[in-house]
Amino acid sequence: MKKILIALDNSPAGRAVVAGAQALALLLDAGVEAVHVHEDGDRTARSTAEAAGVPLRTVSGTVADRLVEAGEAGDVVALAIGARGTAAARRPLGSTAAAVATTLAKPVLVVPPDGLEAPVFRSVLVPLEGTVSSSLAPRSVFELAAGAEIDVVALHVYDQASMPSFTDQPQHEQRAWEHEFVQRYCPWGITGVRLETRVGRTGEVIAQVAEECGCDVIALGWSQELAAGRAAVVRETLERSSHPLLLVPVRRAEPTSGVEATDAATAGRVQP
Amino acid sequence: MSTTEHARRRGADEPLPASLDRRFEAIVFDWDGTAVPDRAADAADLRALVEELCGRGLDLVVITGTHVGNVDGQLGARPAGPGRLYLCVNRGSEVFVAGEDGVELLDRREATPEEEAALDAAAAATVEELGRRGVAAAIVSKRLNRRKIDLIPEPEWADPPKARIAELLKAVQERLGAAGISLGDAVEIATTIARSAGVPDPRVTSDAKHVEVGLTDKADAARWAVAELARRGVGPGLTLVAGDEFGPLGGLPGSDSLLLVPEAAAAVALTVGAEPSGAPADVLALGGGPEVFLRILADQLERRRRGDVPELDGSSDWTLAVEGLDPALERVHESLLTLADGRLGTRGAPLFDHPSVERAVLLSGVYTGDGSRTELARAADWSRLLPAPGSPAPPLTRRLDLATGLLREEGPRASLRFSSLARPGTVALRAATNGGAVVPPSRHDASDAVNVAVRERQAGPIVDRIAAYDVNEKAAQAAVELAEAAGFERLLREQRHAWASRWAGADVVLEGDPALQKAIRFALFHLMASVGDEGEAAVGARGLTGPAYSGHVFWDSDVFVLPFLAATHPPAARAMLEYRVRRLPAAREAARELGRAGARFAWESAADGRDVTPPSVRLATGELVRIRTGELEEHIVGDVAWAVACYLDWTDDEPFAAGPGRELLVETARYWASRVRRGADGRAHIYGVIGPDEYHEPVDDNAFTNVLARWNLRRAAAVPGVDAAERGTWLEVADALVDGYDRASGIYEQFAGFSDLEPLVIAEVAPKRPIAADLLLGAERTARAQVLKQADVLMLHHLLPEEVPAGSLVPNLDFYEPRTAHGSSLSPAIHAALLARAGRYRPALDALRIAARLDLDDLTGSTAGGLHLATMGGLWQALVHGFAGVRPRDGRLHVDPRLPREWNALELSLRFRGRPLRLRVDRRGVSASPDGWAVEEAPDHWEVTPR
Repeated sequence: MKKILIALDNSPAGRAVVAGAQALALLLDAGVEAVHVHEDGDRTARSTAEAAGVPLRTVSGTVADRLVEAGEAGDVVALAIGARGTAAARRPLGSTAAAVATTLAKPVLVVPPDGLEAPVFRSVLVPLEGTVSSSLAPRSVFELAAGAEIDVVALHVYDQASMPSFTDQPQHEQRAWEHEFVQRYCPWGITGVRLETRVGRTGEVIAQVAEECGCDVIALGWSQELAAGRAAVVRETLERSSHPLLLVPVRRAEPTSGVEATDAATAGRVQP
Repeated sequence: MSTTEHARRRGADEPLPASLDRRFEAIVFDWDGTAVPDRAADAADLRALVEELCGRGLDLVVITGTHVGNVDGQLGARPAGPGRLYLCVNRGSEVFVAGEDGVELLDRREATPEEEAALDAAAAATVEELGRRGVAAAIVSKRLNRRKIDLIPEPEWADPPKARIAELLKAVQERLGAAGISLGDAVEIATTIARSAGVPDPRVTSDAKHVEVGLTDKADAARWAVAELARRGVGPGLTLVAGDEFGPLGGLPGSDSLLLVPEAAAAVALTVGAEPSGAPADVLALGGGPEVFLRILADQLERRRRGDVPELDGSSDWTLAVEGLDPALERVHESLLTLADGRLGTRGAPLFDHPSVERAVLLSGVYTGDGSRTELARAADWSRLLPAPGSPAPPLTRRLDLATGLLREEGPRASLRFSSLARPGTVALRAATNGGAVVPPSRHDASDAVNVAVRERQAGPIVDRIAAYDVNEKAAQAAVELAEAAGFERLLREQRHAWASRWAGADVVLEGDPALQKAIRFALFHLMASVGDEGEAAVGARGLTGPAYSGHVFWDSDVFVLPFLAATHPPAARAMLEYRVRRLPAAREAARELGRAGARFAWESAADGRDVTPPSVRLATGELVRIRTGELEEHIVGDVAWAVACYLDWTDDEPFAAGPGRELLVETARYWASRVRRGADGRAHIYGVIGPDEYHEPVDDNAFTNVLARWNLRRAAAVPGVDAAERGTWLEVADALVDGYDRASGIYEQFAGFSDLEPLVIAEVAPKRPIAADLLLGAERTARAQVLKQADVLMLHHLLPEEVPAGSLVPNLDFYEPRTAHGSSLSPAIHAALLARAGRYRPALDALRIAARLDLDDLTGSTAGGLHLATMGGLWQALVHGFAGVRPRDGRLHVDPRLPREWNALELSLRFRGRPLRLRVDRRGVSASPDGWAVEEAPDHWEVTPR
C-alpha cells in the first residue's frame, strides 16, 4: 500500500506534521508511517506518534541521508516534514528539511509548526507561473488523488515581467484568457478547476489568496534548487503562509495520452 | 477489356516513378508524339480516358502546333465535365474548350494586317536567303499567325512519322551541312530576317523538317494554361506537364521545352519521347511514347475512381502547416486552421478526438441565450472520425491551403475537407478511414437553433461526407441534396475556383518580406472567410473562428473589417451594413428610451440589436468591476455612419445611397443632434462618454467622439432630400461642437481635462509595449494618468484625415504615441498606418509586425478563443491607407505612397466603383492595370481614375 512518510524529529512541530501527513494520506488514499532518526533521544517523537496512532520507525545515522533513503522506498508517495520549529526563525526551511526536499524526487509536504491544521484537505491552491513544464508538476499529485473530492484553485500572478500585452474588452477577454489558461496549464485530468488571477509579487500573493479562498494546502511545483537566487517563491511562501506547503518537483515535460507528435521537437509547431 | 485496363496492360512493364504516385488536378500535354503516335492513329482509347477523367474532375490541356480540326478530328472527345478539356492549338494562337456540344473558341491572337504582311515577307526572305546559301527550301503553309518553311521538300520526307525523327534530323543536317550551315543557323537566319521584316518578337521554332516563323509559340499556350488553371484554383504544384521533345534537337531546344515556362516551375514534367540528345534534368524521362502517356492517364483515372484524397498545391507561401498535436497549443492551432465560408465556420480540430481539442461549428448570426449571455449557437460537428477498433489515433500534420480554403490532414490516414465558399453553409470531407468510422454529427452539446443535413458515401476505406447547415431544416435538406447531386469532385472544383476568384480581387503582394507576406495572406484569408455576402452579415469580434466574445458585434466590424471588403468584395461589405440596417428599429428604440432622437446603435450587438454588453467582470487583479462601455461608448453610432460612407466612397452604390444608406446616415445624425448639450460657453458638448481609449470613463467632450459626430452631421446634411430645417440644425450643431483642438500646439486634447491628468509617459515607465497598463498601474491610477489604451485622437487622423487640420498628424503622434500602452489589439495596426504616413518606417514596421503576428504567435494569450478579425482588418488598412496611401476621394483614388526601404513594391488588388483594379506602388511610382485606368501624377500624390 502506498504511504506517506512522516519525518518526525523532537521539535514541537511534530504534531502539526503528523496532522498534515494524515490529511494528505486521506486525500491520496495512502497510509502513514513515521520515521525518526535517532540523535539525542526519541521520546518526543515517540509520544507524538503514539498520540496520533502512527507507527514509528527509528533509525540511526545522518538525519537527512536517512530520511531521503527512507523516502525513496517504492511504497512512499510523499514525505511530510516540519519547517523549523523555533519562533525566531519564523518558517524558513530548516537545514534537514531543505536537504530532504532538494534531494528526494517526490512531493514533500512542509508543515509550519504553528500553522493551520485541517483534518482533511478539501481545497488546494496551485500557483502556476504559466509554463507547460511547471504546470505538469502537480499532475503526479492529482493522479495519486484520483477519485478524491477536492476543490482545486489554480492561481496565476502577473508580475512586472509577465504582465500581459492586451486586455481588449475585459468583459470577454478575461473569460477567454482564463478558459485557455486552464486548458493549457491545468492538464491534470480533473474538471472544475477554478482560476484566480492577481497582479503583484507571487511570493506575497500566494499566502493571501490561500487565505481568501479558504484553501487547506498549497501545492507548488519547484525545481528543487534552493541556492541563492532560486526558489524565491518557495521561500517567501514558507515565510508568509501558515498553510502546509506541498513541494512537487517539476518533472521533464511529458506528453499526454492520445494523438502525439511524431517528433517532440517540432510538436505542434506552426510552420514557419 | 475496359479502356483503362487496356492502357494499363500495354504499358505495365515497369512501375511508374514515385513522383507520379499521386493525384494530379490538371495535365498539360503535347499532342503529336505524346498523346498519339501520329496524326492518323486511332485515338479511341485516349478519348475514353479523357472523357472519364474530365467527368471525375481532372482538367486536361492539349498544347500543339497544329490546328483545332486536326486535334479535335482525331480525339473527338466530348467531355461533360466537371473537368475541362482545353485545346491550345496553332502554336499558342488559339484556345478552344471541348464540351458535350463540340468545341468552342475561347481565345485567339488576331494578327494585324501589318503583322500578316511582315510574316509573309519574313518567310519569303528566309527562303530566298537559304536558297542564296544553297539550301532549297519552300514555304509550305500559311497558318494562323505563322509561316512554315520546309527545309527538306523531298518526296521521301513528305510526312515522316515521329518514330523516324533521328533519321529525319540526320537527313536535314546533311542537307544543311552541304551548304555550310546548321539547323541552328537556319533558325537564326529566320529570326534575324523576321525582325528586319517587321516582326518585333518573332517566335521561330523548328521540328527538324521545318522552320516556322510566327507571332506566338507553345510558351504562350503554356502561360495561358497556367493562368487559366490558376484562375480555377489549380496551381502548378497540382499539374503534370507531358511531352516528347524537351531535350535539344539538332542543337536547338526541343519544341516541348517551351511548355516549361517559369510560371509552371512547380509542375511535374515528364517526357515519353525518345529524346535522342537526352532530356533536361528537371524532366522525368520515361520514354515509351503515347503508350506510356496513356498508362499515366489510366493511373490517374484509377486514383479518381477509388477516391484518392486530393493533394494541396504544396506551395509553402500559401500553406499554414501544424505538425503533430501539442496539447498546450492545440486550441490556438484550431483557431488558426479554421475553415469558414462566410456563413459557417468550423475550427480546424483534427478529425480524431483528443482531450485537448475544442471543436466548434458556428453559423453566422445564429445566437442562443438572452441579454449579455447571448452567444453564437454551437452546431453539431461534421468532422470527426473514430480510429479503427484497437488502433491508436495516428500522428498527423494539418495543412491549410490559404489559396483554396482546403484543410488536409496527412499521415497514415489522409483526409481533405472544406467549407464551400461557392455554397456557404455546405461542407465536404473525404477521408481514408481504414476501418475507422466517421462520427455522425451529434446533437450533444449542440444548439437546436441550427439544423444539419448529412449525406455520406463509403467506398472501401474512403468516405465522402457532405453536410449542409441552416436554421431551417428544409433548407438544410435542400442544400445537401443539391450538393450531393454535384458530388465531392464538383464541390472541390467549385471551392478552388471560388477562392481563386476571391484572391484575384483581394490579394496584397508585398515584395521584399516573405514572412510578412505570408502573415498578410493569412489575415486576408480569414477576413474573407468570416464574412458572408448575402443577406446580412453579423461579424463578431472573432468571426466564425471561435466562441470568444460570444459572436458579439462591435465597432471592430464597421471600422476595422468593413473597409477591406468595401474595397475588394463589396457584396460582403453591403451584407455587413445590412446587419446594421436591420437593427435600426432596436437602435431607434434605444435612442427613444434615453429621450433622444434618431438611432443609437449598441456597443455590443447580437441577434436583435439591443445592447448585450456584460455588466461586470472580474479583472485579472481579482477585482469585480462594472462595465460601462454599453452605456457610454457611443462613438459606435458614428462608426456605423462612417462604415456607410466608406462603402459608398469605394462602390458608389446608388440604390444603397438613396435607400438604407441614407437612412443610416440620417438617423445617426439625428441622434447626435439630440445628444449634444449647450454649455455656458454657447458651444455644443457631448458629456459622459467613453472614447476608444477605454482606460478613462466617463469623459466629457472626447475629441474622437465629437469630431466623428461633427463629421456624421455634415455628411448626413449633404444627403439629397434632407429637410432643409433639419439640415440647418445639423450644420449649426456641427459648427458648435467643441473638439479640443489647440491651434498653437496643433494638438487635440483627448477629452476635457486630459491635460490636467498625471503626465505619465508609459513608453518610459513600462517594461515593454504593448502592455496592459490598467494591470501594470492599476485601473484607478491609469484613469488618473495620461495613459491611453489605444489610438483615440489619432483615430481621427486615420479614419477622418480630411476632418483634422493639415499638419496635425505629427504633433499629435509625437504627443500621444509615447503615452499609448497599445493595450488593445486594435492599436498596433492603426499606429503602423499613422507612423507610415509620418514616414517613421522603423516603428511603423515594428507595429505592423505585431499586428501581423498577433494570432500566429498568440500574442494575446486568447487566440485559442478565436482570431482577432479587427486586427486583421487593421493590418490591411495599414498597408493600403498607411503605406500605399490609397484613399477614395471624389470619385478618384488618391495615392500617396510611403514605401519603406526594405520593400520593393506593394501590389493591391482592389475594386473601385464596380471595376477591378490592380494597383502597383514601387520605387518608380504608381501604376494600374488592367487597361482602363488613368494614373496621373500630381505635385504630391497620384490620382487614379477610371478612363
